[in-house]
Amino acid sequence: MNDSISDGISAEAAAAPKTDGWEPKIVAFCCNWCSYGGADSAGMGRFQQPASARIIRVMCSGRIDPLHVFNAFLEGADAVLVTGCHIGDCHYVNGNDKTKIKYKYLENVAHELGIEKERLQLNWISASEGEKFANFIRDVTEQIKKLGPSPLKPAGVV
Amino acid sequence: MQKGEMYVGWSTKEDVRKRGGSGGLVTSMLAAALEKKMVDAVVVLKKINEFEAVPVITSDVNEVLNSAGSLHSVPSNFAKLIANKNLKVALPAKGCDVRGIIEQSKRNAINLDNTFVVGLNCGGSMHPVVTREMLEVMYKIKPEDVHGEEIEKGKLIFETKDGKEHAITIDELEEKGYGRRESCRYCTIKIPNNADIACGNWGVTGDLVGKATFVEINSEKGARLLQNAIDAGYVQVQKPDEKGVAIRAKIKGTMEGLGKKWKDKVFVPMDNGRLEYFRKELEHCIDCGACKAVCPTCSCGDISKCTEFHYRGDAYKMSMYHLVRFLHLADSCIGCGQCSDVCPVDIPLTRLYRRFANTVQEQLKYEPGMDQRKPPYFEAKLEV
Repeated sequence: MNDSISDGISAEAAAAPKTDGWEPKIVAFCCNWCSYGGADSAGMGRFQQPASARIIRVMCSGRIDPLHVFNAFLEGADAVLVTGCHIGDCHYVNGNDKTKIKYKYLENVAHELGIEKERLQLNWISASEGEKFANFIRDVTEQIKKLGPSPLKPAGVV
Repeated sequence: MQKGEMYVGWSTKEDVRKRGGSGGLVTSMLAAALEKKMVDAVVVLKKINEFEAVPVITSDVNEVLNSAGSLHSVPSNFAKLIANKNLKVALPAKGCDVRGIIEQSKRNAINLDNTFVVGLNCGGSMHPVVTREMLEVMYKIKPEDVHGEEIEKGKLIFETKDGKEHAITIDELEEKGYGRRESCRYCTIKIPNNADIACGNWGVTGDLVGKATFVEINSEKGARLLQNAIDAGYVQVQKPDEKGVAIRAKIKGTMEGLGKKWKDKVFVPMDNGRLEYFRKELEHCIDCGACKAVCPTCSCGDISKCTEFHYRGDAYKMSMYHLVRFLHLADSCIGCGQCSDVCPVDIPLTRLYRRFANTVQEQLKYEPGMDQRKPPYFEAKLEV
């Protein structure tokens, strides 16, 4: 009896993910001062966007360690977005300059590892650019829907 | 004596000259530095047999003099050995040792002002286990019978105890999968100009072939080291002839060209299935951490990002440990090959790390271990 139940579950989990009706999971790292505000004003301005993004607020985009990004992928994210203030607008003077250089490493390593470039994107969004934020999330969701689930997604995670 | 000058020199001690690879200059120079209290200690390889040796830090002049002679099948790296010891030390170093030492100094683990680095020209080293197998399969001699080894004109020569010489070209050996370690094949640092002084037998001409060492002084510290050895009566030097200088440059060019060729051969670009390739290669990892322990550019210590964020129970598709190391080594991998050598499950780690390091270092125009420049991350400035 027990066997048949567990068999049923594993068969379901092993089956190819359904692409119709499948919503990607997107992890978006937003800096407290700009892009998190951008996400906020996207909501206030009532710009439509898919419910695929999970926002993680950090104080500065310079805080985002490449390790966080890889951990997100390994935990099942289909895409990871790194967002921050425009260059020159950083609340902490040059935090996003550091992000820029760090991101170069990260981008190269992720690409060499075989993660598609659509799955990892960098964007500078200010607190007033609510529409830009909503459009960005919409675009990425569309791109990821075409690509399908991430190859790094653990078994059993939707 | 000053930076940029070149000399040909040899040891004045008969015994050292005889045993030393080419005139015993390096051994004598190290011994003189120790004798005249320029340094407190010297790193030498203590020979176990023809294929094995352990690096030791010693303050005994006789032990230094006894270490004369070269070993091609001991792929050690001295950078980690002298790190965090705060020693006044002189040591011989291959290209990758020097790069490791410079990387450690950037991480404040080695004080370069107290470290005299005697660079050795290096065409590559061999793995002891592979060498033993090669002797039996290719040379058809017993590893125990080997008395000495030499690399000359692209041939690897083993001398047996009965006095016979067995020679096979390195190209032929490498075609069969023996010969130099893989990382040495695509290494392009053949003359370590990043060390204080660069020594080697390339460029020695005429009667002196095999009996003298060609020296190039790369820094003020290197000049002091050689001057001290001359003053102490340990070595003799003379100016090299122009032909020798030209030959040395030519050998360097050829070797580097070969290295680049190997690089293209090993790192074939992959379009699809990269993720699967890395996953497959890392599948057998047993989390022993040996690759991190030997890595000459790593100085995080026991508690580090790669280990603390890795937990086997997560059962991720790819281990967090390796992902963090891929990232860290993307800007600091020097391609020494230590990680592949020690891996108990034979993962070709250097090849994996280099895949990332090649692209990143090329794009950011940063070569670790060549000079004091910090990784580009440290150069972040406010762009107005």
